[in-house]
Amino acid sequence: MDLMRWSKRLAILAAVSAFAMVALESEQAFAKEKVKIAFVGPMTGSISPHGIGGRNSAELAVKIMNSDPKTKYEYQLEVFDDECKPNVGVQVITKIASDRSIVAAIPHYCSATAIATVDIFHRFKLPMVIWAAVLPEITYAQKYPEIHRVSGILIGQNRVGAQFMKEHGYTTFVSVADSTDYGKSMNKYFTQFTLENNNKILGTFSVPPDQQDLSAELTKIKELNPQVIYFGGLTPLGARLRTQMEKLGITAQFEGNSGIMGDNYINAVGPKLAEGTVTFFDSPPIAKMPGGKFFTEQYQAAGYREPPEAYGPFAYVATRLVMETIEKAGPDRAKITAALGDVKDVPSIIAPITFDDHGQNITPLTTKYVVQDGKWVVWEDSEYATGKRKLVNCPHC
Amino acid sequence: MAAVFQHILNGLMQGTIYGLVAMGFTIFFGVMNVIKFSHGDVLTFGAFAAIVAVWTTSGLGLPIWLQVIFVFLAAMLVSAVAGAAISHFLIMPLRNAPPLNMLLMTMMTGTVLRETIRLFFPNGTNSQRFPELLPVGGLNIGGVFIRYDGMILIASGIASIAIVHWIIVHTRFGLAVRAVAEDSETARTMGINFSRTILLTFALGSITAGFAGALFGLYYSEINYGMGLLLAIIGFSAAIVGGLGNIWGAILGGYLFAGLQTFVVAAAPSMSDYKNVFAFICVIALITLRPTGLIAERKAERV
Amino acid sequence: MSISMQSRRKAAIWPLAIAVALSAAALIALLSIDDQITLGVTLGVIAAGCVLAARFGAVAATEAAGADHPFVLRVLVVLAAIAVLIGLRNDNFGLLMVTTVLIYATVCIGLTIQMGYAGLFNFAGAAFLGIGGYTAALLGPKGVPDLLLLALGGFAAVVVGSLLLLPVLRTRGHYAALATLAFSILFNVFLDANDIFGGPQGLKLQGMVLFGWDFTNDITIAGYTISSYANYAILAGLLTAAAMMLTGFIDRSWIGVWLDAVRLDEVAASVFGLKIGRWKIAAFTIGNFFAGVMGALYAKMTGFIAPSNFTFGDSLTMVSIVILGGIGNRWGVLPAALIVVLLPEKLQFIQEYRFLLFSILVIIILVAWPDGLIARRLRKLEFARR
Repeated sequence: MDLMRWSKRLAILAAVSAFAMVALESEQAFAKEKVKIAFVGPMTGSISPHGIGGRNSAELAVKIMNSDPKTKYEYQLEVFDDECKPNVGVQVITKIASDRSIVAAIPHYCSATAIATVDIFHRFKLPMVIWAAVLPEITYAQKYPEIHRVSGILIGQNRVGAQFMKEHGYTTFVSVADSTDYGKSMNKYFTQFTLENNNKILGTFSVPPDQQDLSAELTKIKELNPQVIYFGGLTPLGARLRTQMEKLGITAQFEGNSGIMGDNYINAVGPKLAEGTVTFFDSPPIAKMPGGKFFTEQYQAAGYREPPEAYGPFAYVATRLVMETIEKAGPDRAKITAALGDVKDVPSIIAPITFDDHGQNITPLTTKYVVQDGKWVVWEDSEYATGKRKLVNCPHC
Repeated sequence: MAAVFQHILNGLMQGTIYGLVAMGFTIFFGVMNVIKFSHGDVLTFGAFAAIVAVWTTSGLGLPIWLQVIFVFLAAMLVSAVAGAAISHFLIMPLRNAPPLNMLLMTMMTGTVLRETIRLFFPNGTNSQRFPELLPVGGLNIGGVFIRYDGMILIASGIASIAIVHWIIVHTRFGLAVRAVAEDSETARTMGINFSRTILLTFALGSITAGFAGALFGLYYSEINYGMGLLLAIIGFSAAIVGGLGNIWGAILGGYLFAGLQTFVVAAAPSMSDYKNVFAFICVIALITLRPTGLIAERKAERV
Repeated sequence: MSISMQSRRKAAIWPLAIAVALSAAALIALLSIDDQITLGVTLGVIAAGCVLAARFGAVAATEAAGADHPFVLRVLVVLAAIAVLIGLRNDNFGLLMVTTVLIYATVCIGLTIQMGYAGLFNFAGAAFLGIGGYTAALLGPKGVPDLLLLALGGFAAVVVGSLLLLPVLRTRGHYAALATLAFSILFNVFLDANDIFGGPQGLKLQGMVLFGWDFTNDITIAGYTISSYANYAILAGLLTAAAMMLTGFIDRSWIGVWLDAVRLDEVAASVFGLKIGRWKIAAFTIGNFFAGVMGALYAKMTGFIAPSNFTFGDSLTMVSIVILGGIGNRWGVLPAALIVVLLPEKLQFIQEYRFLLFSILVIIILVAWPDGLIARRLRKLEFARR
């Protein structure tokens, strides 16, 4: 054994390790602290286009935030699939909430899922900002400091919708809603505002969201012969209703809700059947907002295959808001909850956000949309508004 | 009254589809004493093959009537291959296993088919829109709307049932099938090629499943990966209620099930969600009262 | 002529001790590790260990030791359980998983009595689980004490199960399968359709409070704080142990022999005077009771139930667990339940594919190893020595 050779090797080894340690050390010194936030939405199942659009938008927000060198933290988005089912949502949220490394969440497209998981957030004191679910009871049935929402509540869209239908002279309606709390709530406010406008509701149908064959209900509806069929539920059921309506030869105006807003509905029924469907969405028209243009450009540039869908911008806003709050308050659940309680006129790509005392964003206004040539078009900009095209059997168009 | 007729028409369509599925179950049970639960998912496979056929043929710009033919051909072919493959690789080797094992295995095979479609078909988790190939619209007779495509589809469904029945009863192949069903050992000693007959029987049964899948797609304009499960259970119930091994029993069972559903829907339209509850309760009651089905299975058991 | 039989030496204890200790360690490791690569490696090591153990006869030695020293086995299990609780004291979700595994295992033990001992087909296991859950959800708010709720869940399952008794008794083979199959679907559709049971939106429940101890409290022992889900884990463990002991008792007793006779050859059994109907009813009832009780516990623990928790697919999963573990062997149910319930949760990268892989696994098991993980040992009816 050559002692000289061995000690030389040892010396080199020592030097290299010392250098490596110093390098790593300085690497650590420059690395930002990592913060984990959770995004929850339907990633599989028939609602998945909305969930995936939301996820892409949330990832975009994180990407843009992380590319800013001035931020204190580096954000890691953990994505979870709630399958738009209440029980899966409960399981997923229990998992997230029990994981102490996750400091905040941006959950839920489906209201049925959100209303089931609200208590878990409160129990584990995990702050969250909802990006899409519009059922009012989520924020208003109780006062939990952890619950916030940037999207609107479904009362506004039904109020605007009822008035719109009145203005255009429709008087007889039939309502078909799904049997979850979401559908029930939609139906409740639809009924309230339609009756306030002195119109008649000839029948109300409650259908489980998975029901395939609607011929029983539609045969009855054909007998009742309404001018308008109102739908309170999500896209898969709505698409089925519209398609089967046509097969039974029912001619009535199809009035939707924010649940059918998005490319998913148009793809599911085809542009021909979708033509002329109206819906009401609690958001200013994205394309017209300066923030909206920024969002659309960035989304295209990032190269996502799937479209952001109707609530993508809201997912972006919610994620951004959560991260900005963490920048101010630090990655601690209690501090984030407290800071979210103080959100007033925070600028966003849609409109300034202000949470009321129940954590609900009070600013979104409702926009009316109609499907024209396979695309959702703002009513006022459409050929229907000018009278070039007419809604089905419209009395005053 | 018009509404009742409307419900009955719809029930006829469903009964035809159930009958086709039930026929498959009963044929498979007859020849091999096996309940092939993956039958419903073989139907789904056929339906998805049909939709691919539509996309391809309409992309190629073929005329509508040719597209319809290709739709049915694709569905029947793919289902036949799938069904025969399952029988050859999974069911034949295990034909002496306890019935529970076989039942579970075919259920799992069905799940594999279903999940494969869900995961690997583009956009598999969503419902797929089946384009309208048959003439849209219908006749309006006294408030009852009779769809043109409905009439065509019901007629073709009944025709296919008749064809299968004719094959089983009036051809040499059908004779071989019945021989194997009655006593497979003796049939073999009589020179009937056992494994080939079984393979072709499974192919035949699966062809009817594919046909039913194409019917379903054209009628409802929508197919999704999970449609086979409920159809399989209803088909199975129908076959059992009608008496396993008996083709007329299966057809009868199919229409009976649809009839029970229609009854609930017509009598109480707002309670239409309960139609399956009512129908299944009737099924359970029927098999309790007549444990071997309406057209009883004649069975001899060696003690 | 006198027949003298050598008295068999009792099996050594040390294989049993090692097996229990390693199992506890493996369980803690699987639950605590989140990083996918480490998890994969750990799983590989465990699987290799199990295969080697089987090859070198360690499984047989453990079984023999367990049968010969029941008291020691119980002590070891309790010690292992305490070790697992301490190891997982901060892991909320891990404890939730353990409890879910125990719940499924107990229901499957009930199914073992029904399918493995009495030969009845039950494709509605999840439905009976659900009946227990919905009983707890509906009666809980009415002020019924929680311990009673669990029992009532069991009784509700028995009562509803008794509606199926007539079809189950009168039918054989595939027809019998249809009875419970149809019931499983019926149950789901019924719950979805009406509002009294919450419909597709489901029902919420309060957590358990037993003898004044609220299960949302963390447990503090000797300076260690164990997270609140441990309460449910302990309760579930006690119930599972009770179920195992009861089932073992049935198996070892004359009742077990009668059930086996009924299952293997009904005609012969009735010729010998066994009342087939009575024993089938007994088996069906006991199994459903287990399912109902665990259903109530499950509902209380998750705080929420909906019809989509109890689908036909879940019933099928339970049947698969019973077959995977080795039909008729109640010990096989535990590792099978662990594999079926735990692995899909932990292996994130196969999340999407978990149903597909699970189905393929079951098919492979059915084709290659139809006896399952731990095959049922042949009953030894030893004759007295002369």
